[in-house]
Amino acid sequence: MKAVIVVHGGAWAIPDEMAEVSMEGVKAAASEGYRVLGTGGSALDAVEKAVRSMEDNTVFDAGHGAVLNADGEVELDAIIMDGLTLGSGAVSCVQNIANPVSLARAVMEKTDHVMLTSRGANLFAESIGFKTVPTDMLVTEYEKREWEKPKEYGTGVKELFRSQWSHDTVGAVAVDSCGNVACATSTGGIRNKMVGRVGDSPIIGAGGYADNRSGAVSCTGHGESILKVSLARLIIFNIEQGKEVQDAVELSLRYMGERVHGAGGAIAVSPSGQWAATFTTERMAWAAAEQGALWYGLNPQERIQDKLSQ
Amino acid sequence: MLPVLVVHGGAGHIPKERVEMSCAGVRAATRAGYAVLQGGWSMDAVVEAVTHLENIPSFNAGCGSVLNVKGEVEMDAIVMDGRTLASGAVSAVRNIANPIQLARLVMEKTSHLCLTAEGASQFARAMGVPEVPGESLVTDYARMRWEKNLAPDANPVECQMGKMGTVGAVAVDADGNIACATSTGGMLNKMEGRVGDTACIGCGGYADNRVGAVSPTGHGEAIMKVTLARLILFHMEQGLSSHEGSDLGLATMKERVGGLGGVVTVDPQGRWAARFTSAQMAWAAAQGDTLHYGLYPGEDITQSIGDPN
Repeated sequence: MKAVIVVHGGAWAIPDEMAEVSMEGVKAAASEGYRVLGTGGSALDAVEKAVRSMEDNTVFDAGHGAVLNADGEVELDAIIMDGLTLGSGAVSCVQNIANPVSLARAVMEKTDHVMLTSRGANLFAESIGFKTVPTDMLVTEYEKREWEKPKEYGTGVKELFRSQWSHDTVGAVAVDSCGNVACATSTGGIRNKMVGRVGDSPIIGAGGYADNRSGAVSCTGHGESILKVSLARLIIFNIEQGKEVQDAVELSLRYMGERVHGAGGAIAVSPSGQWAATFTTERMAWAAAEQGALWYGLNPQERIQDKLSQ
Repeated sequence: MLPVLVVHGGAGHIPKERVEMSCAGVRAATRAGYAVLQGGWSMDAVVEAVTHLENIPSFNAGCGSVLNVKGEVEMDAIVMDGRTLASGAVSAVRNIANPIQLARLVMEKTSHLCLTAEGASQFARAMGVPEVPGESLVTDYARMRWEKNLAPDANPVECQMGKMGTVGAVAVDADGNIACATSTGGMLNKMEGRVGDTACIGCGGYADNRVGAVSPTGHGEAIMKVTLARLILFHMEQGLSSHEGSDLGLATMKERVGGLGGVVTVDPQGRWAARFTSAQMAWAAAQGDTLHYGLYPGEDITQSIGDPN
């Protein structure tokens, strides 16, 4: 069976000066994830590897490079899901963790629960000897400057989202040679979010969903809108109804625009290796790797092919 | 027929000595919510009904919540407005008597949908919501069960199905507006910071004026894996009735992830269902002049809504 991985680095109005680094970042993440698939790794291993790569890259709002909340703190959300068992692990509002996606995987594999939040998630990390890092290590100079800019108090997130919307969520979906699918999503959320705000990323069915019977999805964009329409589950549902992967994603994003006026993007893959990377925002950095080819894009309708370096 | 309100007090196996208390509780909550529904908004009605259940110590929500592994109360709650798909939720919140009302404040006063743990407490303080001592939410019964499950050979997951779960309500008002509300203390002896289905939109509740509303209860982790509330509404969008959609969703959950639970469901016309795969679920529904209630599979007892008991 055909192995495929698709990754995104967030759907938003990516400024020109960040275009190149964003594309390099997603291409590197897709290549790393595909290498896992190529050496017999599972879809789950591949999406974790790809998301870790973007968490470690300060260009993206996840792990290193995360945005700061209203108190100037970093609070991270992440989810991972295994389409074989519907097993899932998530962390919300966790601090001092460089790779929340791996902590989410530990929640899935080492606890009876699906989601741990805040201090409880950190206590769990401690109990399994998971590496912690000082907050400062996760914060870039760029983010400190952006956060310091005069804040318009009383401005809602929606307004912030439209005007100075900072870089968003990262995610990956994959199908391995056994036909197993998986998804992973990780984020620092939105700049100046309230302390304790949980967005769509760690919520199963919103920020991600994976089911071997239909496919895997990872979402990005306006978190509150994604939550209201359970975007990932909606896309999967449209696939279950017989829609092509590309159509299912487009239809669901259009519905989100019409029903709750939210913009966003999603990547999806089916068990047979069909895939899509689509968005209703200005831009979304994405890349996909399959059978020796690396695809990537940033602008609407853009689909560039590159050789996949081994 | 509108309006209609359906309430549950949790799916599971309810000990004999607690049966009457549970049934009386859901009936009283249903009457309280239904009174609001006479000329009122469905959102006010579901919050009223759930607040009522949070205040009764025999339900696992608000006062009477189960304890986490450290012996503390951490609660999850969600509300959703079917007109706009607006929603508010809190997860792992402490020292609040009525998490359902805090969830509603998240929906109405912030641009977020979910606040968690200490952040939710900070928001509660900013809103002037009174903090209550953690002890005031703990009952002797909850403490007894917590201690029992600390024993090395205890099986909290199994014991979980031997208890009252989550509480919740769904309603359609006379204008056809739909809402849902769900609140819980979560799972017995859960890890600190564990978030179950209740706080997660599409899992622990969903409401859409175009389709209907669902409030689930049962094994939270299983409900999450199949996004049970949204799943049932997908089935209803495809033409299934509230009854059929609920049964199919619950069957899928049992088949795919081996989970048991129950739901209360309504559609925009007011056709309602209270269905469960667990041994029991305390539920009650009010429509017209009739109050329906039940606890065992197939049971549907009716009385006049005016009956004081």
